[in-house]
Amino acid sequence: MKKRLMLTGLVLIFIFGLNLSPALAQDTIKVGIVLPLTGDQAKFGEIEKQSFDLALGEINAAGGVKGKKLEFIIEDDTGRPEVGRSVVEKLITKDKVIMLGGGYSSSVTYAVAGVCQQNQMPFLINTGSADNITEKGWDYIFRLNPPASKYSTSVEELLEQVIKPKTVVILHENSLFGTSSAKSFDEQCTKAGYKVVLKEGYEAGGIDFKPVLTRVKELNPDIVYMVSYVMDAALLMKQSKELKIAPKMFIGGGAGFTLPEFQQNAGVASEKILSATLWHQVLPFPGAMDYYKKFVAKYNKETEYHGAEAYAAAYVIADVLKRANSFKNEDIKKALSETNMMTVFGPVKFTTWDKMNNQNKASSYVVQWIDGKLEMVWPKDLAAKSFAYPVDWLKQWGY
Amino acid sequence: MTVFLQTLVAGVLIGGIYSLIGIGMSLIMGVMGIINLAHGQLMMVAMYITLVLFNFLHLDPYFSLLIAMPCLFLLGVFLQRFLLNPLMKIESILPENQVLMTVGIGMVLTEIARFIFSSDYKSVKTSYSSSAFFIGNISFNVPMCIAFFFALALTVLLFWFLLKTDTGRSIRATAQDKDAATLMGVNTGRITVITFGLGSSLVAAAGCLLLPIFYLFPDIGGPFTLKAFVITILGGLGSTVGAIVGGVVLGIAESLGATYIGMGYKEMVGFVIFVLVLIFLPGGLKRLTKV
Repeated sequence: MKKRLMLTGLVLIFIFGLNLSPALAQDTIKVGIVLPLTGDQAKFGEIEKQSFDLALGEINAAGGVKGKKLEFIIEDDTGRPEVGRSVVEKLITKDKVIMLGGGYSSSVTYAVAGVCQQNQMPFLINTGSADNITEKGWDYIFRLNPPASKYSTSVEELLEQVIKPKTVVILHENSLFGTSSAKSFDEQCTKAGYKVVLKEGYEAGGIDFKPVLTRVKELNPDIVYMVSYVMDAALLMKQSKELKIAPKMFIGGGAGFTLPEFQQNAGVASEKILSATLWHQVLPFPGAMDYYKKFVAKYNKETEYHGAEAYAAAYVIADVLKRANSFKNEDIKKALSETNMMTVFGPVKFTTWDKMNNQNKASSYVVQWIDGKLEMVWPKDLAAKSFAYPVDWLKQWGY
Repeated sequence: MTVFLQTLVAGVLIGGIYSLIGIGMSLIMGVMGIINLAHGQLMMVAMYITLVLFNFLHLDPYFSLLIAMPCLFLLGVFLQRFLLNPLMKIESILPENQVLMTVGIGMVLTEIARFIFSSDYKSVKTSYSSSAFFIGNISFNVPMCIAFFFALALTVLLFWFLLKTDTGRSIRATAQDKDAATLMGVNTGRITVITFGLGSSLVAAAGCLLLPIFYLFPDIGGPFTLKAFVITILGGLGSTVGAIVGGVVLGIAESLGATYIGMGYKEMVGFVIFVLVLIFLPGGLKRLTKV
């Protein structure tokens, strides 16, 4: 009998203990962040996590939100949609977060957004960019970054005004982001009257791109446009150099082509490569340069548009929670839709346009690797360096 | 024409490395009658050894062959001696208990690598990593050519070992008929241990040769296990000559597929061949060569 009593007591303590611990932890406001911290997209996750941490430190130092400290619970989605789903379910049911942020790869973000909508959990996406994510009519999903189809608008301007190409080759990873960017760039090229002579998807993680690059060489296009994550991007450029492919310009469609790791891995083959981007530290947004300097000082490495998106998202989250009447789903959603603020990433306001809901409008820019540094070269009035063009590739590569 | 030749060259060069990966698996398959499903993961371990040597001692990846191969030989010996051989004595519903064990070993190796090195992509940058020379219009990647010739040399060495040495003969005898070999006084238990070590060190060599060209992360093993498996089936189970031919055929088929069908279908080409071989040539290429 005694034993049984003791056991019951233990069980009771255990249950109470479990109930007590969240109650104790309630003096922080919990927001879940989903990012790829391991796996092939880990580099992107890392730069975003560091930016979230940087912003969080500043927000809490400035008094937090409504007198409470803000807490980001960062979970690893490993770059796989099914893992993304399960970590979000954990964040919602176990950690009881009041809203979600993050979202790197399009495939994962799409899966996560679906779960959030089902659970009526407000989700602020900062990178996952496939167009269809905000075209579903999901009212709890908000997106800070522009959709993938708008990544190349600035590149298109530059093509039209400076390079004036006749033929274009598009190489893309056959993932959600890759295919969706390639498709819209293809349409834009056709509209502008450039001939797309080859549009080829590839499986990420290939060793040898030479077979397809040989065909590119044979076609001798004016522009080679590539949509790739970082390791494939570096291999593509290294092997293009090996095959002496010399178009008028190599252009990357964002993602892998702007990371410092691209330059480290591709070496001289990364020099003078153009890429679409969504942010650069020289942009005249308040705090843009400060953020860049703070990041470099804290982590001793460069940052780029992915980091800026995360940093801005953290401030948007803090702003939304400050304005929300309560931390109920409905109120947070309402506060999100009323957002109208300036961030390092530019103005943020969620509106409905082009079939998309709750989509922020943001501009795109063009950057170029010049002397191992990522420099903004387009649009001209904002550019810090002039666009290096034309490029004698063979001479630059030392042939 | 240039496109075709360049594709062929790329295919043959990568095929050399595939062969080296395939031979190791084929050797193990021949002697023990099991598929080693941790094969690619063993290669991953060798690549990490090479990476560590490169980062901390600045050893050239090719020089690391001399260290990574013995290391993996010992690892292979250890795995066979203490994890796989004991399973042979146990009666179970599944006769291929050892195969299941290799799957487990592969997972453990991957997770250990993830624990130590994290999931980041790593690569070594050598002065020759992306250098190439040209014959006519065709480019030859220098590290790929070096890898190809190392693969060739190692294969010749392996054949000399199998044909001329005592241990080599014992390995072949065990592969042909284990019971008969035992009756003739061959210590088959010891032979299986040596074979697994040998197979592991061959795949280690492939890893060292691949590192300057490719990059490295803990999950790299899986796809290469699959490749080795396709090569082994293609070549005929347990045939070393078959594995060499199988490797080169797979390399060329993938390259041609990538050029003429589409880059995205590269992997598919390999598996279509795999299925076709199983249906129309169940013994693999071994049946054609009679070796």
